[in-house]
Amino acid sequence: MFSRRDFLSRTLGGTSLLAVGGVVPEFLARAARAADQDPAARDKDTVLVVVELTGGNDGLNTVAPFADDLYHKARPTLAFRRNEVLKLDDHVGLHPRMGDLKRLFDQKQLAVVQGVGYPNPDRSHFESMDIWQLADPKRAEVNGWLGRTIPAMRVSEAGVPGMYVGQDRLPVALQGADGRVISLADRASFKLQLTGHADGRRKLLQDLNAGTDGGELAAFVQKRQLQTYASLKKIEDALADAGQPNNNGNNGRNNEGELGTLNGKLNLIARLIQKGLGTRIYYASINGFDTHSGQAEMHANLLAEVSSAIGGFFGALGAEAPRVVLMTYSEFGRRVRENGSRGTDHGSGSNLFVAGPKVAGGVVGKHPSLSDLTDGDLKFHTDFRRVYATLLDDWLGVESRTILGDRFAALPLVDKAKKVDAPAPAGNAAPGEAPPPLPAKQ
Amino acid sequence: MADALPAELSKVDPADAWAAWRPTDALPWDRKWVAHLYRRAAFGPSPADTDRALADGPEKTLDRLMAGEPNPALPDDLLADTAGYYGDPNGLRGWWLYAMLETGHPLREKLTLFWHNHFATSYGKVRSTALMREQNLLLRRHALGKFRPFLLDVSRDTAMLVWLDSNRNVKGAPNENFSREVMELFSLGVGNYTEKDVQEAARAFTGWHHDPEVERFEYNPDLHDDGSKTVFGKTGAWNGDDIVRLCCDRPACARFLVGKLYAFLVSETPPPKGLLAPLEERFRAGDYDIADLVRTVLGSRLFFSAHAYHKRVKWPVEFAVGAVRAVVPPRPADPNVRWVSVGDLTDPLGKMGQALFAPPNVKGWRTGTDWLNSATLLARNNFAETVATGTWPRGPTPGPGGRTVAVKKAAETKDAPGEEPPPPPDPKFDVAEVVLAAKPAGAPAVVARAAELLYGEGVPPAARSKVEAFLAAGGEKDADGPAFRQKVREAVHALMCLPEYQLC
Repeated sequence: MFSRRDFLSRTLGGTSLLAVGGVVPEFLARAARAADQDPAARDKDTVLVVVELTGGNDGLNTVAPFADDLYHKARPTLAFRRNEVLKLDDHVGLHPRMGDLKRLFDQKQLAVVQGVGYPNPDRSHFESMDIWQLADPKRAEVNGWLGRTIPAMRVSEAGVPGMYVGQDRLPVALQGADGRVISLADRASFKLQLTGHADGRRKLLQDLNAGTDGGELAAFVQKRQLQTYASLKKIEDALADAGQPNNNGNNGRNNEGELGTLNGKLNLIARLIQKGLGTRIYYASINGFDTHSGQAEMHANLLAEVSSAIGGFFGALGAEAPRVVLMTYSEFGRRVRENGSRGTDHGSGSNLFVAGPKVAGGVVGKHPSLSDLTDGDLKFHTDFRRVYATLLDDWLGVESRTILGDRFAALPLVDKAKKVDAPAPAGNAAPGEAPPPLPAKQ
Repeated sequence: MADALPAELSKVDPADAWAAWRPTDALPWDRKWVAHLYRRAAFGPSPADTDRALADGPEKTLDRLMAGEPNPALPDDLLADTAGYYGDPNGLRGWWLYAMLETGHPLREKLTLFWHNHFATSYGKVRSTALMREQNLLLRRHALGKFRPFLLDVSRDTAMLVWLDSNRNVKGAPNENFSREVMELFSLGVGNYTEKDVQEAARAFTGWHHDPEVERFEYNPDLHDDGSKTVFGKTGAWNGDDIVRLCCDRPACARFLVGKLYAFLVSETPPPKGLLAPLEERFRAGDYDIADLVRTVLGSRLFFSAHAYHKRVKWPVEFAVGAVRAVVPPRPADPNVRWVSVGDLTDPLGKMGQALFAPPNVKGWRTGTDWLNSATLLARNNFAETVATGTWPRGPTPGPGGRTVAVKKAAETKDAPGEEPPPPPDPKFDVAEVVLAAKPAGAPAVVARAAELLYGEGVPPAARSKVEAFLAAGGEKDADGPAFRQKVREAVHALMCLPEYQLC
């Protein structure tokens, strides 16, 4: 049950800005009452984390069809043998370095969606990324698919619906939702500007927001204003915490460049979710998947980071994990046949992951045939917008037709009614199950 | 008649509500109501506006707001002409913001903003500043005109045609985008038409195209479906003009528009049933005369009552433009022109959630309390800091001689105690100049004057005494010394961070 105390500690917890003292000011009491009226409100606030694998991830070596001779024939130096992969079924297995994702798969918390793509695939990074992020193969949409989702989405209190964690410019996917998306690049990016007598001014703002007799609407604004100051504090704290080891088996790997690695980004997102920031869509990316040559080691390091970052993320979320779903995607897969430089070139039709305690785990869709190719590429059978539609309708509670402009058949990805056990202890996979993850790339 | 309206809105007699307001002893024409009128009918008063309005009285002030200045510094033809010089959306945003700040006809700019949200079209898809400019001029032309010709022109506006895929609407394969929005969002509202009406109207709009070469409306008879259509139960070989007429003939049309204008001009609290009936009737009877409706509302007893006062959240544009007009010093030669570069408003406005010419979708911005979340409120607080401390990134705009006046940018200061105080801003941007202009003596008088400038009336007593204490702390004796002036600027920021300042 969500109590007034929970509310206060969540919205104001640790906030030095507000001297609540022993007395609950009237406006806080009002806010708490409002929250008490709808104790389930917070549980309804599902969160979606989107992880972009930039550069075109080689799906064929991420989810390897180890049982198919054609795979070994097409990939003489890159293919994984039967005893190398982390088997998902008799036909496909995960890349050997994705131990954390295998663990999630075994716990039925990972959906592996195969054969995802769109008609007439574009092999330009830029164009195809646009198509995925606009959710429109014609590229006629103006705003990104998440940017279109945000205005239609319910957010509680002063929550900012979307957040991009990273140093690059705002991804197209989140564009079009001015004022509803924060770009969190560093400590300076979300900060109250107070020059001069900063301390006295901070105290004055605090005092001024300690009560209003200006009527209902003013009281509402005041609540929002307070929540804004509380959010600033939460973000500041989360950034500070994220610099610390996260106690989930990744000790020592998050100390450097908090926002430079996927580990660091997801770790920060986990802390923001835990602090009850109210944001419902998070977006982060990891670059380097354009593996035209010498793919093996590079790709292994990247996938190891993806896997351990996601595993560590759900571990760090603890009790909050059941309201979070994470999806990965990349702008395209890669050519079936490896090239002369032990790498792979741009291709199409790939796979993606959807992870979380409330995900209906398992392999979704057949692996595309390796004998029936188009221009040397896999044929997709599942439109990527079906994944989006499913997450919109079944997870975020936003009618997908209005966002995507069409109806797309749902996939079995989400099981909201699923019973979730106490969060599994996070950390390294049991010895012998999978090789330990490599340190994150520098 | 002189009795105050009932405190409960549902008990207000609609006839009383819309009767013309006359100041009374209990409810005099004072700074509070001048500021209220200017917040709604304009972008907030400048100190000069307030003085003039107090001298003129409500009737004359409203007349001037309705008609605009007879000889404005920014005449219409110059406004239209200058718009053509901007090839990127930020330039165009600056152009419009400049018009809002310096126009002699602020009510028209204000309604142009209203209609921009009503006929929400985004540069993001239109991808042409020329077309967005043309649409903006169209909105301005009709902003206080009559709704029928307005909607007809909008249905032929090139930016709108691009925005709602009109070129895809052809005989045999109608595209319903425009015909749906014309009913749902432009004239009738959800529930006042059927799906069949939308489909049939789409056929009537087939061939309503634009020529992408010349960027003009073009009727394409070969692609027009000239068969018979039934819309709202009326059958005929309707074309687009007929659909506009049929929409405007529906009783829902007046209801829909009056409701939307009420929320914009009066209150975002949903009105009780029947309150708007006299306005709807009048609007219908006058064949949708927007100016008459606006004048009736702005001159009404309900408008000058607690039912309207502070009953709406400021749009970001109102917040930003209003703050500049209220406390940034005017140029000596022209009390209505300031040195602030409008380019310094565009980025903060995006952060506050209102990039002009780029509403999120055809429904327009989500207004009311939806304007306010942690990101947008932080942006408002930080914009207040820019205004109050005069730290405008671009420095002053070119002076009257046409040359940019070189000034040093105010240094960024560290947010830490014990640091050196920030250097004072350029006097052109110093809000302390404005607050202290009339030489208020002592902290209470200074706070009272700052509140007057920002709010019209005083701020709530509890808040006032806290700001006074802040200002008096430190005991700067020299009321015109740099230390005191800095505190004045900081107090102005605090006053702009009060919840009431977010209200219109």
